[in-house]
Amino acid sequence: MTEITIAWIALPFFIGFVVYLLPQLARWLALAITLVSAVYAVIIFLQPSPLALQLLDNFGVSLIIDQLSSFFIFTNALVTAAVVIYCWQTGKTAFFYMQAIILHGSVNATFVCADFISLYVALEVISIAAFLLIAYPRNDRSIWVGLRYLFVSNTAMLFYLVGALLVYKANNSFHYQGLSGSPPEAVALIFLGLLAKGGIFVSGLWLPLTHSESESPVSAMLSGVVVKAGVFPMVRCALLLEELDPVVRIFGVGTALLGVLWAMLEKDTKRTLAFSTLSQLGFVLAAPVVAGFYALTHGLVKSALFLIAGILPSRNFSELKDRGIDTKIWLVLAIASFSISGFPLLSGFGAKVLTSKNLLPWQVIAMNLATVGTVITFAKFIFLPHQTSPPDPLLEGEGNIAQKGKKIQPGFWWAMAILLGGLIGANLVYYEAYTLANIIKPLATIAVGWLAYLLLFNRLVFKLPKATEKLDNLIGIMSLMLILVFWMIRV
Amino acid sequence: MLLEACVLATMLCGFFGIIFKKNLVMKIISMDIMSTGVIAYYVLISSRDGLFTPIVSNVDRVGYADPVPQAVILTAIVIGFSIQALMLVGVMKLAKNNPTLETSAIEENNTP
Repeated sequence: MTEITIAWIALPFFIGFVVYLLPQLARWLALAITLVSAVYAVIIFLQPSPLALQLLDNFGVSLIIDQLSSFFIFTNALVTAAVVIYCWQTGKTAFFYMQAIILHGSVNATFVCADFISLYVALEVISIAAFLLIAYPRNDRSIWVGLRYLFVSNTAMLFYLVGALLVYKANNSFHYQGLSGSPPEAVALIFLGLLAKGGIFVSGLWLPLTHSESESPVSAMLSGVVVKAGVFPMVRCALLLEELDPVVRIFGVGTALLGVLWAMLEKDTKRTLAFSTLSQLGFVLAAPVVAGFYALTHGLVKSALFLIAGILPSRNFSELKDRGIDTKIWLVLAIASFSISGFPLLSGFGAKVLTSKNLLPWQVIAMNLATVGTVITFAKFIFLPHQTSPPDPLLEGEGNIAQKGKKIQPGFWWAMAILLGGLIGANLVYYEAYTLANIIKPLATIAVGWLAYLLLFNRLVFKLPKATEKLDNLIGIMSLMLILVFWMIRV
Repeated sequence: MLLEACVLATMLCGFFGIIFKKNLVMKIISMDIMSTGVIAYYVLISSRDGLFTPIVSNVDRVGYADPVPQAVILTAIVIGFSIQALMLVGVMKLAKNNPTLETSAIEENNTP
């Protein structure tokens, strides 16, 4: 098993560079890599006991691979496969696929490593690959968005490095376990890095702009899996060390509420989705024990939603309401929105039930509020008008010129088949959820949410200030977060 | 102790530079200063037991420097400098349309 694991970790990086020598095969190789990861995730899932590896010697690399990792790896494999298939006929160069493979590999690495330095290296490779993917269109805006992302993540990672050193100073080892014997400032610094990288709470406010201004396949990858690279180590630490569990849960609740509040009031489709990512990451953190399943369903549904948002005729909700969308697109959009709202038959339901069963009493009210908020957010998508015939070409005049006349590629439907099929198939993981009591609660939540939407939020016009998303403020907020986390750990 | 204070001061200088400098290149340089501080801190911690290079020989036991943080920070230096190179390339591209490289102006032009 050790050899297989090492080969599997190294393969994406090796293939990533080979791709550049064989540009014709780029798409096939990228797809093959995702297949390998999916198979590996299944093997890990079926392993009876977790695998703990210590490579080289005492100071070497430590890995922990268990069922939790397998969920995240499987998400990564499905999302990357869907993105590759979505891009199949869009004429992306080998460079794009190379970065996608390397991103896939480095995200996988974060899901298995168990020491702070391997994690650091993996996270930094993610930064570079994500920057290159964001900046792929090479226009000013994409470069600026990428630079902003690099600024935030690199500054956060510098804090993280100091934290890692303090852990080493206390334990003579970089292993996650050492966090318990470390001074509070070490934990605070490391958590600051992970919070910023994973887009949690106020230090995650870089995320909406980055995820909404990237191309939709890139947004799908960023929202579906890349942010989970920052979340996963926190979940792992919370599971390894009892005393960090409350901290992680508090951040989960905070993020869930913050994200959903902004998502409800947002008037732009992609920004709504990005804020919803922020809030869904809160759900992942709120119950660390079952984080894997929630992350799987969220990754699938959010990348599907971003891919759909990319082919909608407009990004503005009021414009979409006037023009309506094609029924076929509406159908997939509705399936995805139903899943994230927690409607039975789709695995979003199972994930929500499982998470709510593992919440602590003080979390329940806040998380229920966040669930209702999610329903309200996605009611905006579900209640879009739809028609069978494509919209009248005369009406499309003032729309986005780039979107006009763009035909939907068959790759889109294949990607949807993978992601939504995964959503339905994932029901098998937790089929025990289907009891009467469990089914009534989400249905009631959805009813309440829709009622609130139709009566109130539908007409609400309220613009939230965007000043919090300025680069200086994003960096500055890190110092405040550092104090906050430090104080939380001391108490 | 004094050295540690100096190192932390370097990091803070860099951090505040990233926030308060207006020019994009200056921000990147500030980030470099901050990472210099972090690297110095690693070197400082690895020398807490001694300064000798840990090489096997027949010399009596002396205070050896800890090789692990040094090995680790070498990786971080390489990563840090490659990220900085990447950022500078991005800044070069942006400089065509924004010759002053004023962050607030670039941000205003490129935010929806």
